[in-house]
Amino acid sequence: MDQQQPLAAGDPGVERRRDRRTFLVGALAGVATLGASRPARAQDRRKKADRETMPADPLAGGVGSAIAAPSAWANPVIRLVRRATLGLSDADVTAAKAMGYQGWLQYQLDYQRIDDSAVDNAVAALWPTTTQDVNTLFSLSQGTVQTAQQAAWVYRAALSKRQLYERMVEFWSDHFNIEFAKVGYLKVVDDREVIRKYALGKFADLVKASSKSAAMMAYLDQNVSRAGAPNQNYARELMELHTLGVNGGYTQDDVAELSRVLTGWTIQGRGTFTFNPALHDWGSKVVMGVAIPAGSPSLGADGIKEGEQIIDFLCNHPSTATFISTKLLKWLLTPEPTQSQINTIAGVFRATGGDLKLVVRAILNQGWVTAAPVKFKRPFHYLVSALRGSNAVITNTAAINGQLVNLGQPLYQWETPDGYPDLFEFWSGNLMPRWQVASTVANLRSGSIVVDTTPYLAGTADAAVDLISRNLFGGELDVATRANLLTYLKAGTFNETRVRETLSLAIASESFQWY
Amino acid sequence: MTDTFEHDESCGCREYRELSRREFVGTAAGLSSAMFFPEWLPRVVLAESYASDRDVIVSIFQRGGVDGLNLVVPYADPAYYTGRSTIAIPRPDASVPANQKVTALDNFFGFSPAMTPLLPAFAAGNLLVVHAAGQSYVSRSHFDAQRFMEVGKPADPALVTGWLGRHLALVPPMRTDAPLRALGLSSGLAKTLVGAPKTLPIANPASFTIGGAAGTAAARQAVIAADYADAPPPLNASALAAVNTITLLQAISFEQYVPMNGATYPNSNFGRALKSVATLIRADVGIEAAQVDIGGWDTHAAQGGVTGALSTLSSDFATSLAAFHADVIATNARVTVVIISEFGRNARENGSQGTDHGRATTMFAMGQGIAGGRVLVNGWPGLARENLEAGQDLKVTTDYRDVLAEIVQKRLGNPALDQVFPGWTVNFKGVTR
Repeated sequence: MDQQQPLAAGDPGVERRRDRRTFLVGALAGVATLGASRPARAQDRRKKADRETMPADPLAGGVGSAIAAPSAWANPVIRLVRRATLGLSDADVTAAKAMGYQGWLQYQLDYQRIDDSAVDNAVAALWPTTTQDVNTLFSLSQGTVQTAQQAAWVYRAALSKRQLYERMVEFWSDHFNIEFAKVGYLKVVDDREVIRKYALGKFADLVKASSKSAAMMAYLDQNVSRAGAPNQNYARELMELHTLGVNGGYTQDDVAELSRVLTGWTIQGRGTFTFNPALHDWGSKVVMGVAIPAGSPSLGADGIKEGEQIIDFLCNHPSTATFISTKLLKWLLTPEPTQSQINTIAGVFRATGGDLKLVVRAILNQGWVTAAPVKFKRPFHYLVSALRGSNAVITNTAAINGQLVNLGQPLYQWETPDGYPDLFEFWSGNLMPRWQVASTVANLRSGSIVVDTTPYLAGTADAAVDLISRNLFGGELDVATRANLLTYLKAGTFNETRVRETLSLAIASESFQWY
Repeated sequence: MTDTFEHDESCGCREYRELSRREFVGTAAGLSSAMFFPEWLPRVVLAESYASDRDVIVSIFQRGGVDGLNLVVPYADPAYYTGRSTIAIPRPDASVPANQKVTALDNFFGFSPAMTPLLPAFAAGNLLVVHAAGQSYVSRSHFDAQRFMEVGKPADPALVTGWLGRHLALVPPMRTDAPLRALGLSSGLAKTLVGAPKTLPIANPASFTIGGAAGTAAARQAVIAADYADAPPPLNASALAAVNTITLLQAISFEQYVPMNGATYPNSNFGRALKSVATLIRADVGIEAAQVDIGGWDTHAAQGGVTGALSTLSSDFATSLAAFHADVIATNARVTVVIISEFGRNARENGSQGTDHGRATTMFAMGQGIAGGRVLVNGWPGLARENLEAGQDLKVTTDYRDVLAEIVQKRLGNPALDQVFPGWTVNFKGVTR
């Protein structure tokens, strides 16, 4: 009953899209007093979908089609910095230009050699919970623990010199998503001992650490699974989301069998992994063809090794190499990786035993990065990039999560185990909160985050816009946006208020939504 | 009367709007404006290009896979009780106190205690339960199953628009000058709505402003509108809709909204979202569709029975919907609600007093045009082990698309079902009147 009936090109859907285009131009005519330079940008931004293939879904209106980078993004080094940071800053761009493409990439990959002690010390002092043990964390207000954890993440994302590492922390925090509200302080330990420990390590180490993380076990009900009545929640997501991918070759029977293998893996005390032989199913099991014979603990059978054997099998499975490589390509490079790119990276993944530094280095090669389409910043990335680009002086970040609520991406608050989506079509409609945040950030005059506008007021209006371009866009602000900003700045008195409004418009601009 | 939204505050259109309102009031047979225009009503009047033969649709997704067997209980199926020793809802026997047992809807099904706020909607004939409903295509992955349902077709990576998005793209606007045709009460756009024109995710319609100084807001909006004019789709359309919607939403006083019939919405995310939808529908500003999510249904452990986690969530669900029924459905014949979830849960409980991912579950539809007041079942498959799919799950006997498609054609006036649900041969089940 589900035969495919593709909608033919040239059907009403295509007509409709043309109509909408016409409508847009007409509807904007009354508003777009600054539209004189628009044709320049229309030429500037080439849409891959128009040049190559039409989207298969004729009503999609561009959804799912890659969007080429603007021609203003000329410098390959800055393209790499956009990809490998949570937003351009003048300091990072200057450093990267000095080191060159390969030099700066390797510098970021060898993150442990980057002295980040100033940030580490500040985080430890501002939010002691980030370093406290489970017994201490257990005794605290969980709301306080969550707020501290969120604030610390924003602080590191904005100020750490280890920017590529922070991008990977963000990636794995979604890949191994855990909602704080369900597990409380256990997430603090997971962040410390799983995500941040192995974010640029070996993939298998991440999965193994996660499988014994009390937070993950509590989040996906592994801690209550037992022989005779296994809980399938963790077993399913371990295969579907963490390793093989949903089309990775497992069946519902494999989910059921893996859940039996993992019975007895649970939590003790305030939150440490333990194996309880009384809860383990000692019968024979078969997971994806891997047989585990019936055994008995008294005869030397090992219920931890049973699970570890299968987890090793999953981590080494070709589907895992393909699934993780595809997801990393989408995260770091392009919303639509080619099959050739996937094959190449999956090959590196397999050849290096899932060495994430080498995989990431292979993805971020200069040829691919300079040819890559743009990606749409997610709200966290957008807000942090606004703070970085506006050279904000930051002494505390406790208030930021409230802004992320409005933007739609409060930290550690995505409920389901798939993590926040990394999809243009999901985020592109929610622009009003972004424009609000742009205004909020540009008007931070006092308190724990301050944006100083003195440098913008030191010269002419043209010089102020040039400085905005340098700070927020690596000096590569496109002609049309620059003209819009300059026109607005010059239409009023050249003073701090007008400069802050112009800065807010730069942060709100379409150009600043991409990286 | 023409569209007021292409003007902004700086062009003197506040005066224009109020003039419009006075003119409109003046036609209302000399009655005092206070009677017709409570404080929350927008001071904007759209052109009278109104297609009134179509319903406004409110699409609700219960995310996580709802345990329909514990919302609408098949109390006459003995296997329900043998499979759920700790979480079953007791039979409607006289010996059991009323708030601790099933309330019968017919001689086979009944509401759990948490669902009883919906009894008035059911008794009025406006609420339909469809049981053993779901997707014919088997997926026990939340994320695949949700995506397949929302796009309206399983396992087709080329299809990225949602069923409701395609419906809206295929029909002309109910009001030609409406700046916003549909919204999702969320921060990201639900896949259900992808592809819909003039459609935005708006988590909180009451705070839809650009921020900053009021004196320069209009000028800054103009800069932003120009800046996004050549953005790639759908970003350009999103930006335009956002700018054009500012005036509309700022004109509505959401906080002062007074529901009809004394209805009270719970102060939960779901209750607040439905109240916002009610405000927008009653403001009559051209909204044709709203998407609302309610999460938390993934009850793998300790879901409870008469009380507990699922009961608490079901209570929020039912109380919010009951308020929406009293406020909107009972007073407006041109609104339809439809409620789906990606799958149900195992017929038998697991060892953690919860239920793992299953297959068929409940669907709900509500409206004066819905043939409600009954539990619609296309043959009850039964919960005895030999009748379960893969020995564990209630079988799907009604595909969700048959329910949605009938509503799309009969209530939303769109016969192009081959485009809203491509590849599906529709078989109406008598969901509508």
